[in-house]
Amino acid sequence: MKKVFSIILCALMLLTCLAACAKEQGQQTQSSPDSTTVPADNDATAPADNQADQEQDAEPVTIKVFSNLTDRTSGQGLIEQTLFDNYMTEHPNVTIQVEALDDESYKTKFKAYASGSSMPDLVNIWCSPSFLDEVIAANVLAPLNAADYADYGFADGSLAGVTYDGQLYGLPRNTDVLGFYYNKDMFAQYNLEVPTTWAELLTVCQTLKDNDVSAIAMDGQDGWPLTHFTNCMAGTILGADTYDVMLNSVKNGDYSDPAWNTVITAASENAALLFQPGFETTDYGTAMNLFINGQAAMFFMGSWEMSMSTDFPVGHFTMPDVEGDDQGVIGAYNGGGYAVSADSKVKEEAIALLNYMFLPENWSKLSWENGVCMSAQDFSAYLTGNESDLQKEIIANLNNASGITGMTYNDLGSSEYKTVCETSTIEVLSGMITVERYFEALAGVR
Amino acid sequence: MQRQRKKRSLKQVLGFIPMILLAVIQLFPLIWLVDFSLCKSNQLFTSGILVWPESLQWGNYAKAITGSNFLHYLGNSILINALAVILVVLISVMAAFACTRMHWRFKGLVSMLLMMGLMIPIHATLLPNYMIFDRVGVLDTIFALLIPYVAFSLPQGFFLTSSYMDSVPKELEEAAIMDGCGIYRTLVVIVLPMMKSSLTTVAIMTYLNNWNEFLMAMTFLSSPDWKTLPFAILEFTGQYSSDYAVQFAVMTLSALPAIIIYILLNKHITKGVAMGAVKG
Amino acid sequence: MHKLYSNKWVIFSLVLPGLLTFVIAILAPIILSVFYSLTDYSGLGEATVTGIQNYKALLHDSVFWTALRNSLLLAIGFVAIQHPIAVYVAVKLDRLQGKAEGFLRCVYFIPNVISVAVIAYLWKFIYNPNFGLLQKILEFFGYDGTFNALSSGSAIWAVLVVLIWHGFGWGMLIYYTGIKNIDPVVYEAAKIDGATEGQAFLHITLPLMKPVIKYNVTLAVISALKQMETVYLLTNGGPGNETQFLGTYLYKQAFGSFKYGYGNAISVVFIAICLLSTVILNKVFEDRSERREGKRLAKAAKKAKS
Repeated sequence: MKKVFSIILCALMLLTCLAACAKEQGQQTQSSPDSTTVPADNDATAPADNQADQEQDAEPVTIKVFSNLTDRTSGQGLIEQTLFDNYMTEHPNVTIQVEALDDESYKTKFKAYASGSSMPDLVNIWCSPSFLDEVIAANVLAPLNAADYADYGFADGSLAGVTYDGQLYGLPRNTDVLGFYYNKDMFAQYNLEVPTTWAELLTVCQTLKDNDVSAIAMDGQDGWPLTHFTNCMAGTILGADTYDVMLNSVKNGDYSDPAWNTVITAASENAALLFQPGFETTDYGTAMNLFINGQAAMFFMGSWEMSMSTDFPVGHFTMPDVEGDDQGVIGAYNGGGYAVSADSKVKEEAIALLNYMFLPENWSKLSWENGVCMSAQDFSAYLTGNESDLQKEIIANLNNASGITGMTYNDLGSSEYKTVCETSTIEVLSGMITVERYFEALAGVR
Repeated sequence: MQRQRKKRSLKQVLGFIPMILLAVIQLFPLIWLVDFSLCKSNQLFTSGILVWPESLQWGNYAKAITGSNFLHYLGNSILINALAVILVVLISVMAAFACTRMHWRFKGLVSMLLMMGLMIPIHATLLPNYMIFDRVGVLDTIFALLIPYVAFSLPQGFFLTSSYMDSVPKELEEAAIMDGCGIYRTLVVIVLPMMKSSLTTVAIMTYLNNWNEFLMAMTFLSSPDWKTLPFAILEFTGQYSSDYAVQFAVMTLSALPAIIIYILLNKHITKGVAMGAVKG
Repeated sequence: MHKLYSNKWVIFSLVLPGLLTFVIAILAPIILSVFYSLTDYSGLGEATVTGIQNYKALLHDSVFWTALRNSLLLAIGFVAIQHPIAVYVAVKLDRLQGKAEGFLRCVYFIPNVISVAVIAYLWKFIYNPNFGLLQKILEFFGYDGTFNALSSGSAIWAVLVVLIWHGFGWGMLIYYTGIKNIDPVVYEAAKIDGATEGQAFLHITLPLMKPVIKYNVTLAVISALKQMETVYLLTNGGPGNETQFLGTYLYKQAFGSFKYGYGNAISVVFIAICLLSTVILNKVFEDRSERREGKRLAKAAKKAKS
């Protein structure tokens, strides 16, 4: 009798010990950013020292951050983490806890958070109606004071996507230029020129196909890269009107503009030639890996991937002209950004962190100097002339453009529209439905 | 006679071939996985089915262990599963005893309710459970996983224990109770030891049910405190998206504990599955 | 003693933990689900009751029917493909004695214990038409083109293969233990009577295994209906909505499109289908066995009379 009880007791004690251990371990992993802190920039540390002294006695604050940048050791994730680490060094009372999930899981989890009460304090957002409309309407995000950012150098119109009824709710991270990364060695090997028209693009793809190389690596499983692709095609036809035409179509369910039919027909007829086999089931990572490992000659994606490491030189060009009346409008928008949760218990501190991140010498400077991406702010002060060739090409493409398309059509409606639109785009480009059926499906939701 | 035996053995050998083939089909993907986890990433793009790694890239595994929370998540998985197993065993023995041995009016109804969970898909309760857990404040704690894991393994546990209890002689416990031993004490001292083998089955079934679950974990947890093993893979594919070899190493590592546990408990698992089938 | 066995407080304390987990984690969510399924709740803000609107919409939702068809296909796949192979292997395995038996049994079961996360990612790699294992094997046998198993048309079959492969060990093991439980004396008697192996299988093994088959088939159908995680990670219902299952579809609707109310309507129907099919399966199996039992008794009675 006693024996049994003592065994149970022992087991329980062991379990509590284990629980305690696991808990401790958990806390260790959380605070691990401290140990890998990247030293702050010199010019930033000087005033920070004072601040640190002042805040020595300040109450400890934990800011929970929800990020879609899963890779914390390179690219944008590294920049974000570096800024957080710097901030924690400057404000010893602040602990920043990051939860990072990839885009698709992020969106799902964000909605779960939004329906509950445990939304993290500083969150990643997409500055598009499909993501924000419902979220703003439900008062999930805290209003920001637009006047605070007058000196931050945000580019004209870049705050439009996060402004509702004149009230600012978030800050955009980048100016995202959509285009083709291409393997320069491979283009040289097959004597290929950068295509400027749709026909030339098809010829390039045909040559590559004849040589058993996939042409464009495409993330077709997620759907949004495909709509970005078709949106860019429409941009070359509609020029400066692109955004208005798209918005009108989405809002009114009216896809009668001839550009629509031209674009979707051209894309679906040539999808098998343009993209790698099985593009409709290839995810983001796999598509990029095909390009990086020399299995595909091009990779269609936004400028946020400009820091990908390859062992061949990479060039960049934007969508070739589909109808032969080049308008010089390229696909670009302000996609990802940050906002603060309205119910946050540390709202002031979270906003302070947000403001700190977007000081021009922080996000803007670091992301450009590290060749990671182009911020939504004016970063011309940080152009050094020492940029990589790829960076220079992307900047040149942006500067040469007469305008940008703005947010792509999949993101201009409700979140339901986005789901339907992206699924239907996969279906039409992989030949599962007809072009007519595609427009019917799109017109069915707003 | 002898010739006949030889013939049969030839026939047996022929009959053996499909078995081997099937074993290869079952195992080959895993061999492929291990093979490429020891290669360099770009070797995946070479044309051979299997590649003989020129030099074994153990570094992939080092990266997989140090670059992720692998060990931490493994610890969480073990702890959460151990707790779930203990709770399921205890609760099902208690409920089964009450429903098979004791006399009360609603025992049929209660047994049916408890068994109903067998037929209900765990993922159908994902959405409302999120809201409930959010209200109660258990999101992102160990309870967010423990409660559904226990709840959805309980029906099976209850079912197995109560059907086994039917076949255990009552005399011993009745004698104990005659001697003035209370119900609780009888349960612990007499009944539990008698049911050892069926409780092993319950424990194993519970473990098999929950060890690999991740959708609940993904929805209910946010900090790394309690995340379980499948997260090692999910997080890694994000973090090392371009490094296939390391991804393969993480997958191998994540599969390993379950395989080791299976090989260790092989006999019990076979018995457990058998009991589930026979009682069913 | 009788008193002790009907002490209400003792009973209550023994049953309480079980009932409590049932109520908290199963019953309450289902009730909540039923409530939200009658609203247009988006997951955010306020919910307005819209009656059975969601259920009406569900009837006209082609993706819902695709999901249901896929679940059914999977159930058929389990019963018509996986189980015959499993029975065959189980019989063969039973004949093998010694080390090979244990080893093979172990090998067949191994995929079953591996996390679905690993399984899904692994098969994604295997199916990749650019560098996957399947493509390489096809090339090895002289196939020239590229084959994308997960593309439209073949995707659902590719998913079925993974699920059948993954669950094979479990089904096999259940049949195997069923066969092991048959008294070898019965076979010896049959052999003496001159029955061939095939006859012995048809007339002895199968009938004696009936309860096991019943259990296994029920299990397979239920698990086919419940399928969610592997598909979620492998194809996420794609391409388009071709490989959508009820579980993945409700997830997509509730979290992807902010149609929480609709997602819950799918949940409710999902649960109803699972309950209903268990009941139906039980009826089907019960009826037959009872009928047969009845016949047997009638025969026996006749014999006794004569």
